[in-house]
Amino acid sequence: DDKVYHLKLAETWGANTPLLGDTTKRLAYLAKTLSNGRLQIRIDSSNKHKAPFGVFDMVRAGQYDIGHSASYYWKGKLPNSLYFTTMPFGMTAPEQYGWFYYGDGQSLMNEVYEPFGLYSFPGGNTGVQMGGWFQKEINSLADVQGLKIRIPGFAGEIWAKLGAKPVNIAPGDLYTSLERRTIDAVEWIGPSLDIQMGFHKIAPFYYTGWHEPASELQFLVNKKAFARLPADLQQILTTAMRVVAYDMYIHFQHESAVNWANMKREYPAIQVKSFPKDVINAMQAANSALLAAHAEKDPLAKRIQHSQASYMAKARAWTEIADQAYLNSMSE
Amino acid sequence: MIGIVMFAVALLMLLVGFPVAFTFGGVALLFGVFAEGAEMFAFMPFRIQSIMENTVLMAVPLFIFMGIVLQKTQLAEQLLESMGKLFGGVRGGLAISTVLVGALLAASTGVVGASVVAMGLISLPVMLKYKYDKSLACGTICASGTLGQIIPPSIILIILGDVLGIPVGDLFKAAVGPGLMLIGIYVVYILIYSYMKPEAAPALPLDDDVKNKREQYTKALIAIVPPLALILIVLGSIFAGIATPTESSALGGVGAMILAALYRQFSWKMVLSSAQETVKVTAMVFAILLGATAFSMAFTYTGGDYIVEEVLSDLPGGATGFLILSMLAILVLGFFIDFVEISFIIVPILAPVADAFGIAPVWFAILIAMNLQTSFLTPPFGFSLFYLKGVAPPQVTTMDIYRGVMPFIIMQVAVVVSILLFPSFYGLS
Amino acid sequence: MFLLRLEQVINSFSELMGKISAVLFVLMLFNVFIDVVMRYVFNDVSIGMQEMEWHLYAAVFLLGVPYTLKTGGHVRVDIIYDGLSAKTKSIIDMLGCLILLFPFCALVGWYGVDFAREAFELGETSGDPGGLPYRWLIKSVIPFAFFAILISGVGLFLKSLNVYLGNSQADDYQPPQH
Ligand code: NA
Ligand code: NA
Repeated sequence: DDKVYHLKLAETWGANTPLLGDTTKRLAYLAKTLSNGRLQIRIDSSNKHKAPFGVFDMVRAGQYDIGHSASYYWKGKLPNSLYFTTMPFGMTAPEQYGWFYYGDGQSLMNEVYEPFGLYSFPGGNTGVQMGGWFQKEINSLADVQGLKIRIPGFAGEIWAKLGAKPVNIAPGDLYTSLERRTIDAVEWIGPSLDIQMGFHKIAPFYYTGWHEPASELQFLVNKKAFARLPADLQQILTTAMRVVAYDMYIHFQHESAVNWANMKREYPAIQVKSFPKDVINAMQAANSALLAAHAEKDPLAKRIQHSQASYMAKARAWTEIADQAYLNSMSE
Repeated sequence: MIGIVMFAVALLMLLVGFPVAFTFGGVALLFGVFAEGAEMFAFMPFRIQSIMENTVLMAVPLFIFMGIVLQKTQLAEQLLESMGKLFGGVRGGLAISTVLVGALLAASTGVVGASVVAMGLISLPVMLKYKYDKSLACGTICASGTLGQIIPPSIILIILGDVLGIPVGDLFKAAVGPGLMLIGIYVVYILIYSYMKPEAAPALPLDDDVKNKREQYTKALIAIVPPLALILIVLGSIFAGIATPTESSALGGVGAMILAALYRQFSWKMVLSSAQETVKVTAMVFAILLGATAFSMAFTYTGGDYIVEEVLSDLPGGATGFLILSMLAILVLGFFIDFVEISFIIVPILAPVADAFGIAPVWFAILIAMNLQTSFLTPPFGFSLFYLKGVAPPQVTTMDIYRGVMPFIIMQVAVVVSILLFPSFYGLS
Repeated sequence: MFLLRLEQVINSFSELMGKISAVLFVLMLFNVFIDVVMRYVFNDVSIGMQEMEWHLYAAVFLLGVPYTLKTGGHVRVDIIYDGLSAKTKSIIDMLGCLILLFPFCALVGWYGVDFAREAFELGETSGDPGGLPYRWLIKSVIPFAFFAILISGVGLFLKSLNVYLGNSQADDYQPPQH
């Protein structure tokens, strides 16, 4: 059978968004070469479809066969989609990949997405995202009161519980707003993508991460489109998705390291800070309370949370005596 | 291929005179359905939602409202007339005042639709009242309204920063020099033109009730203060961190109502009728955006982006040749395609080549931004021209506007060339 | 005259859209103003109020389009059009409605219904803390507005038809009063 199959992919980002845009290009390339040209994927970036957050609907409706996005963007439509990107104080990327591929992660994700005619697969990891760029230093919980911070979604809810004021600012107004201190802080991604936003030039404090320890992107696949592929091409597609996801994780690791080194060299005045213990404790408490509220309303949410918590307990014990102990033995 | 035919057809259909917005939408439909099927239009709600959620565009109705209230209460007239009178016997004072007010508005919004329409409402009636040449008036308004695109904050610069991977702040800083240069060259042009053609831009007469020039100046200065202060407050609220650039336009709207109250002209009836005028003009602007997004959808989904890509991916010549050719390409495409399309489709093709030639990215970005600004003014698809036509009185024809912008297009091209030749003068090399 | 009467009914529908849109605009203006004051003076932010800004702004421009169509406020390239007789103009407008405006609005409105229905079926809400629920409401403004433009377009068609048939005189568009 040498019939050529064409799939259309819509991604949430622009074609030239560093790292994220590369992942789909790699997917298309791998699918084509592994299938000897029988599986062709056309990529439409947000420049073309103009609907960055319409990816879920467009793949669901079959306007596109595949989407490249992030699960937590669909929280407003599908509350349980929240759990398949990253969670505050949750697993690190290696731990979370273990949960997805060898724990219950993938099957729970299927349970959430299948009713909508969709498959979801891991789509590449950004690693730990930074806590954000701050105009003022956070020394205690008192400094958080009334703090105007641009941070969307669940993490924003935690900030709000602490007394901060999450704000919505149009991306086009973000730079000017932070520069003129209309707002106090901006949460973005990490060195690899923050550098082109230029926040390091206008805000002195760069806080380390807590809320997105391992943001996993997502490949959404329309079930009907997937079923139309012959078995070997299905295998090629899923394999290629797994390879490019892993590759993005490594690529992000690399670019973050390189960009951070550049940023530090060019702007030695940037002060890297971590939130003080009382703030972290309050965030953890708020996180637990919010999760408990979700679990109470929805049995599936409860099961997912339980699966994540128990997997993380096991994985973390190992991370502690492996990676953490190793790093500790190196420092000092 | 379909893309090219579509452009030609759209051009012809526009000339027939059916409203621009629905001509774009209808032509998109005819070609889109023919090439890809009706299902393509299932994308439209998503594209419309992107416009609905693009809150930066909120500045459009808010600025229009400010303009209409200032105009209804005659405060705009007072501002411009008084500024014009400060020029005394010098001709062209009203036009120069328009450029200066346009520059101030430009510094508080990055949305061309907002500033062109606001300037059209504020200053076109005044210039016409004082027997300015219609073309000069229209050209001045389109050009100074379009300054919003180069003087930060600016949507073009934000998009280019995103596409080219340059911090927005760097671009904002780099754009100030070229922006000031444009303002300067417009003013000089108006001075020369009105010196040579006195009937095109008459000096304002002294008021009947003043005895001498000094008294006239004092009177004018006092009259300028309130409306000018309003515009400066809008600007100041951004710099003081009180409001985002978009929100500042709402402060302008509320401020205009307060001014009206101070002058005892406030009434809810006035507010509501201003709001209704605002809606009319806003919808005119957004209908064009809605039609244009359908048009660009049909264009790209029928392969138009690949055609453009093919043509541009192998431009001949070294660094200088590449720069000149790419600027020409953007200028020509700007006659037909909207700046957002150019930024997203064309710039990513050119950027790696520029990079390979070692062309400084900020310099390249500013050149493109200047060039795209010109595309707002170039007939037949220049959005600024449509916007001004939408608020102009019936005696102003499309031809008046086309004629009026020509000299300003030439000036803009001259400034682009100067940036190309002397980047160090603008601190861009 | 039935045709004239129908034209009048449609015109008052379009006028109503304009009035609603104008009221929504005033609400939006104060919405943004209050949000700025609350944030700057009282250090308080409401995501719901911030989202209300774009809900209002979107409704303003979408509902404004049919009104502007009725008032003749949509820009034309009038290089040729201006010099034509009222009768020729009316033919252009009738054909424009039939070939361009009606199909465009009908198709976008049609797909807009699905778009809003999906949001309704999923019970879509804002993904942000304190954001607004019932996304289907604002999404359904899209099909509503496009069908309203269609209706207003029928008004334009009838007006042109009445001019063509000699039932009424062409009236010129009055831009914002100067
Ligand atoms: Na600007
Ligand atoms: Na143009």
